[in-house]
Amino acid sequence: MMRFIRPRLRKPLLGGIALLGIAGAWAIGAGQSRWLAIVIAIVAVGQTVAWYLTAGEDTDESALLGSRADERQKQVGQHARALAGAVAMAAAYVGLLITLAVKRADAWSFAVMLAVTGFAYLTGLSTYGSGEPNPGDEANAGYQARSPVGR
Amino acid sequence: MRNRVREQRLQREISQAELAAALGVSRQTVISIESGRYLPSLPLAFRIARFFDLTVDKMFDPEDEEAGA
Repeated sequence: MMRFIRPRLRKPLLGGIALLGIAGAWAIGAGQSRWLAIVIAIVAVGQTVAWYLTAGEDTDESALLGSRADERQKQVGQHARALAGAVAMAAAYVGLLITLAVKRADAWSFAVMLAVTGFAYLTGLSTYGSGEPNPGDEANAGYQARSPVGR
Repeated sequence: MRNRVREQRLQREISQAELAAALGVSRQTVISIESGRYLPSLPLAFRIARFFDLTVDKMFDPEDEEAGA
């Protein structure tokens, strides 16, 4: 489906939909403060327009936002996401420690976050790593047989 | 690692934006490569070398790094 949407519009649209999701959840859950959902929805539309305009600029961040990043910019994006993941994991750990000490009933949400980020890290290792020992070629096998480590 | 991208580009009187367009990367990436802040991937290194009609080892000089090690 994303292929039918202009690259420049993809991430701004995803960001807007994510915020609209929050607005929807707020509308369902909130009592008298349901009007706030409308405010969030308006912010979502504004954010989509702002991100779309930003995506047209000539910076690394704009290239990432506009889905036209080159190899270096993709690397910058990957580093930023890795940092965000590490910080989320650390925050979940700190949250777990605090809630265990202060309000144990709320600790489960931080435990879930810690488990999810930890599982995502392991999934990343398995997906982007080789996953299994490299069999190598025949010459390599011969080298291994002669290796003093194997004796 | 030193490279001759800036030197070759100036010799040919090409702007960073023109080189970026020819290589299919952003202008910021050309700036990063020229300043040595970013080491290009092997495919991009070949594209750069071919663009300037040079070999990769003429374009990129690892001696700086070896001397520092």
